Amino acid sequence: MTQSLDAYLILSGLLFTIGTFGFLAKRNAIAMLMSIELMLNAVNLAIVAFGAFVPGLAAQGALIALFVMAVAAAEATVGLAIVIAIYRNRRTPLVDEYASMRE
Amino acid sequence: MPLFAEAAGAGTTGTSLDQAMVLALLALPLIGFALTALVGRRLGARSPIVPVALMIVTWVIAMVLVYQTLIAGAFGEAGLHFDLYRWIPAGDFQVEVNFGVDALTAVMLIVVTTVGMLVHVYSIGYMAHDPGRWRFFAYLNFFMFSMLLLVLADNFLLLFAAWELVGLSSYLLIGFWYRRRSAALAAKKAFIVNRVGDLGFGLGIMAIWTTVGTLNYTDVFQLLPEALASGAIEPWMMIGICLLLFAGAVGKSAQFPLHVWLPDAMEGPTPVSALIHAATMVNAGVYLVARANPLFAQAPEALVVVAAVGIFTCLMAATIALTQTDIKRVLAYSTLSQLGYMFAALGVGAFIPAIFHLVTHGFFKGLLFLGSGSVIHAVHEEQDMDRMGGLRRKIRITHITMLVGALAIAGIPPLAGFWSKDELLAESFKFGFPWVWAIGVGVSLLTAFYMFRLMGKTFYGPSHIDPHAEPRIHESPPSMTGPLILLAIPSAFVGLLLGFPPESGPIHDILDPVFHGAEETLALPHEPYTLFGLDGILLGVSVAVAVIGMLAAWRLFGFFGIAPRPKTVRALTERLRLPYRISRDKWYFDELNDLLFVRLGGLVARGLWWFDVHVIDGAVNGVAAATQSSGRGLRHIQTGRVQNYALGIAGGLLLMAIGYLVAR
Repeated sequence: MTQSLDAYLILSGLLFTIGTFGFLAKRNAIAMLMSIELMLNAVNLAIVAFGAFVPGLAAQGALIALFVMAVAAAEATVGLAIVIAIYRNRRTPLVDEYASMRE
Repeated sequence: MPLFAEAAGAGTTGTSLDQAMVLALLALPLIGFALTALVGRRLGARSPIVPVALMIVTWVIAMVLVYQTLIAGAFGEAGLHFDLYRWIPAGDFQVEVNFGVDALTAVMLIVVTTVGMLVHVYSIGYMAHDPGRWRFFAYLNFFMFSMLLLVLADNFLLLFAAWELVGLSSYLLIGFWYRRRSAALAAKKAFIVNRVGDLGFGLGIMAIWTTVGTLNYTDVFQLLPEALASGAIEPWMMIGICLLLFAGAVGKSAQFPLHVWLPDAMEGPTPVSALIHAATMVNAGVYLVARANPLFAQAPEALVVVAAVGIFTCLMAATIALTQTDIKRVLAYSTLSQLGYMFAALGVGAFIPAIFHLVTHGFFKGLLFLGSGSVIHAVHEEQDMDRMGGLRRKIRITHITMLVGALAIAGIPPLAGFWSKDELLAESFKFGFPWVWAIGVGVSLLTAFYMFRLMGKTFYGPSHIDPHAEPRIHESPPSMTGPLILLAIPSAFVGLLLGFPPESGPIHDILDPVFHGAEETLALPHEPYTLFGLDGILLGVSVAVAVIGMLAAWRLFGFFGIAPRPKTVRALTERLRLPYRISRDKWYFDELNDLLFVRLGGLVARGLWWFDVHVIDGAVNGVAAATQSSGRGLRHIQTGRVQNYALGIAGGLLLMAIGYLVAR
């Protein structure tokens, strides 16, 4: 099994699904950010797996994974900053309370 | 020419002094207007001093110019012409502010400034108790400026500008007592009806410019006939231009079918009726056609229209004047009728008698209107002739002067109206328009009748004046009777002075240079005057007819020793009920206009309004409503919850993945 690309892709798909579910189901903004991280890492896993198993993608796979990590770090920083700023204003981390632009 | 050296064009004539006089004629009334408008209110009772003094100076200058033109002959036959400055330099379209004084202008100057000056003096007395006096005199001076500009202008565009300015002054003065609803409405009516004619006039000017590329009188009168002769323009274009110009004349001179504004214009103060709506402004149309005589001579078909419109208005207005009871309205319809004579004369080619009649009419109608103002003043603002009568002994000067005016307009020799009217009627017969002559003679019967009906009802017979007002009847102050006397003199003698011997009097020598070319073009017969031949017969008929009309009126409405017969009058109106009604109700022209333009026009307008509201606005509002409702519908999916959006993204991603798998 360890030599199979499918195993990595199945794990990656499971992690992505968990992340997606968490993003859709959680009301807490911090938990949603954590779910996003899970999704990003699932994708990263798939990319690295492709890079390891497909000969033509060996160099690119690692490179793209590094890029994704950098972007994910930036995303987490900005996302957390926004969440903290909203929390200071609203005194709640629950995103369904942030509906003041609706009407 | 040191004064205007830089502007002096090639066609400039006359010394700078002459030019300065022309400019002074325009500047003085304008200064009077400006001063009175600015500070007149504070001057109170002294507000007339400046405008009246300036008018007298203007009159003197005008007389000097007239002397220079007509008697000294300082400017030759072509007259004085000079440019003041370039008004509109727009590519090919070059218009100067230029002025011209020739024999026709000089004759107009005599009437305009003389009557204008006397009316100014008269107004001192007439408006003495009106708190808005300063406004009145400011407007009067403004009118004099506009009217002088109208006769002095040397190109069509400047003429048109002056044409509109006199229209504006007329509007302001008709509506002088603007608190009175009828006066405000009459002013509006005059303005709007004039717009109809001015539209034609404006189009005519544009047509002239597009065909010959200039608007200067001298050039146009030379180039247009040349273009016609060389075949550059078709005859119908010439006729079209003439008829468009004539449309303007019809509006300003209140000819059928645009005559409806003039009787209503009597809502203005009486001096205004005398000056603007009898002696000067309404003659502008006659002046225009006479001025454009080289064009009309090339379009005989247009001249027939002029003659027909003129003689029809002449007849119609005279029949209406028979039964009106408002003294000023009788005179207003009489003005329409006399203007109709002038147009009929222009139409048959009798240009000189037309201008001759313009001059005599200016004097005697100005006199009659000022006289009626004096009567109205005497009986305390009563205008209904059924409530007058027996004023002969109470206001003697007014009576005598008005009697002169009435005899003059009736055409009794040797007063002014006889000479001009007889001449224009005789010429229309001899120039091949017997129908114009026949109607004209019929109208002179009516004229004599309605004038002496007016005299009888006002001055003779028993008094029907309100007994309370009766003891306070008084003759007007000298500032009013003076102008009456001064106008009665020319009304009596100007005809003899200018028109004797008939058809070759001084007026012919004066105006011949202006109309010579047109008369040649029309190939009018020029037979020597035969007192004991055709001319004698024509003269005899027109005098006899006038005398019959006058005697009939004496018998019915009274004269010095003759008692009026109200019973006979009543019996006559009973027997002639239908014609009487038609005449009294002014041929139902107001009703016709009401039906055509107010009701039918209103229906059309309402239809268009419906179309506008439901179709045009409907389309616009429909688009807006559709946008709004679709926006309202789409708003429901904007919940503001992040999870909902994320669900949409995930769902969309899923759909795309499924679609990809299925499609593969």
